[in-house]
Amino acid sequence: MNRLIKPCLLLISLLLLSDIAIAEELKLPPGMGGVPDIGAIPCDVFNKMIVVGPLGTKRLLLTWAEGYYHAKTGKTINEIIQDAEKTGQSWNFDSLTGHFVDYCAANPEALTAAAVSDLGEQLLNDSR
Amino acid sequence: MTAAVAKNNSGKSKLWKPPIVGVVTFFLMLFAIGLGHSFMVLVEHWLGQDVYIASIFIGAAAIVMLWYAIKSNNENFQTWIGFFAGLLVWMTWVEFFFMFYGRMNWGMAPRMDGADGLRVSGTYPEYMIMGATVGLLMMMMCFYTFDKDTRCNMFLWFQKKLGLQKGLGPSTKISRDRNYAIITFMETIYVTWFCYAWNLLCFDPGLVGKGDLFFAVNMATVFVAFVWSGYCFSRLIKFKRTSTALRYAIPVGNIFWISIEIATKWKLFTEIWVRPWDYKIEMSVVLGAFLLLFILLILAPKKPSEIGKGRPG
Repeated sequence: MNRLIKPCLLLISLLLLSDIAIAEELKLPPGMGGVPDIGAIPCDVFNKMIVVGPLGTKRLLLTWAEGYYHAKTGKTINEIIQDAEKTGQSWNFDSLTGHFVDYCAANPEALTAAAVSDLGEQLLNDSR
Repeated sequence: MTAAVAKNNSGKSKLWKPPIVGVVTFFLMLFAIGLGHSFMVLVEHWLGQDVYIASIFIGAAAIVMLWYAIKSNNENFQTWIGFFAGLLVWMTWVEFFFMFYGRMNWGMAPRMDGADGLRVSGTYPEYMIMGATVGLLMMMMCFYTFDKDTRCNMFLWFQKKLGLQKGLGPSTKISRDRNYAIITFMETIYVTWFCYAWNLLCFDPGLVGKGDLFFAVNMATVFVAFVWSGYCFSRLIKFKRTSTALRYAIPVGNIFWISIEIATKWKLFTEIWVRPWDYKIEMSVVLGAFLLLFILLILAPKKPSEIGKGRPG
C-alpha cells in the first residue's frame, strides 16, 4: 500500500501542473459582439469587422490604443492629441480611427497592434 | 388588371383550380423572400451610407401605396399592395433603421464566430437588436390572440383552446367589412418579424450556446418548421381564390424559410440571394420566375368578390 502512495502523489501533482499549464484562452461571454483582444487580431479580420460594425470596431481599437499610449507615455489620449496638434494636424475620432483603417487596408497580414503603434509614432513625432 | 379579371372571371378555368393556385402562391412567396434579401443588400451596396436617408422615403412611399390600396374596394389589389407595402416597410423602417442604430449610432461591434472567434458571424448588430424585440412581438401576439375579429386560423385555434370564444363573442365583421390592404400589410410584417425572431433566438450563442443545446434547438426548429409549413401547405393547395391563397402563402413561405436559414447556417448550401452580384444569372432566373408567377396570378380568373363587386365603396 505504502508503495503506491508515492506514485499516486506524483501522478496527482502532474495532473495539477498540467491543468495549470493548459490555461484556457480568454473568451467573451457568448452573446457579446467583438473580440477579447482587439489589439491581437490580424488586420484582415479588422477589415471585415468594420464592414458590419464600423463605429463599434473602431472604438474598440481606439480604446485599446489609449491604454497602450498611456502605458508608453503616461499621458491620456487627449494630452497626446493636444501636444501633437501644436505642430501637426488636428485629430478627432474619425481621423484617429481612420489611420487604423488605412493601415489595416494596406497591411492585411499585420496585427492591429501594428496599426496602433504606427499611429502612436506619428502622434509622438508631431508632439516633439 | 380589372379588364383581365372581367374577361376571365367565369370561375371555370381548367388551370386555375386546386392545387395550382396554392402551389403558385407558395413558390411566389419563396422567390419574394429570396429577392427581398437581394433587394436589401443591393440597396445597401448601391447607396452606402445614404441608404438610411433613402429608407425613410422608401418606407413613406410604401405607406402612400398602402393608403391608395385601403381606399380601393378591390380585395385582390388590396392584398398585393398590402403585401408589397409590408415588405418595403419591414426592409426600410425596421431593418435599415435597426442597421443605422446598431452600426452607425450606438456603435455595436459584430458578433464573432468560428473556432478561433475571428470570423464575423451572420448576426450583425441589427439582428442583435432585433433579437431583443421578442417581448414586443409577444405583446402584439397577445393582441391578435385576444382580438375577436382576428381570422387567422392559428389565433382562432388559440382562442378555442383557451376557452375565449364564448367570452369574446361572435366577430363583428364579415369578409366584406374587412380591409385586406391593412390586414395583409400587418400580416406580412408580423409574420416576417416572428420568423426572424425565431431564427435569431435559435442562433443566439448567448441563449443556446454552440454545442449540444444549439444543435438540439436547431434540429427541433427544422422539424417544427417543416411540419408546420407542411401542414399549412396541405391547406394552401386547396385554395381557389388567388387573394386568399396569397395571404395564406405569406406565413407558409416564411415558416418554410426558417429551415432554409438553418440549412445555410449549417453550410448545406450557399445563400445566393445575399450575394446577388456573385450569382447574377441565378438571381436573374429567380427574378424572372417571380415576375412570371406574379403576372400569372394577376391574369388568373377572379371571383367577383375578389375584385370588389358586392363590397362597399
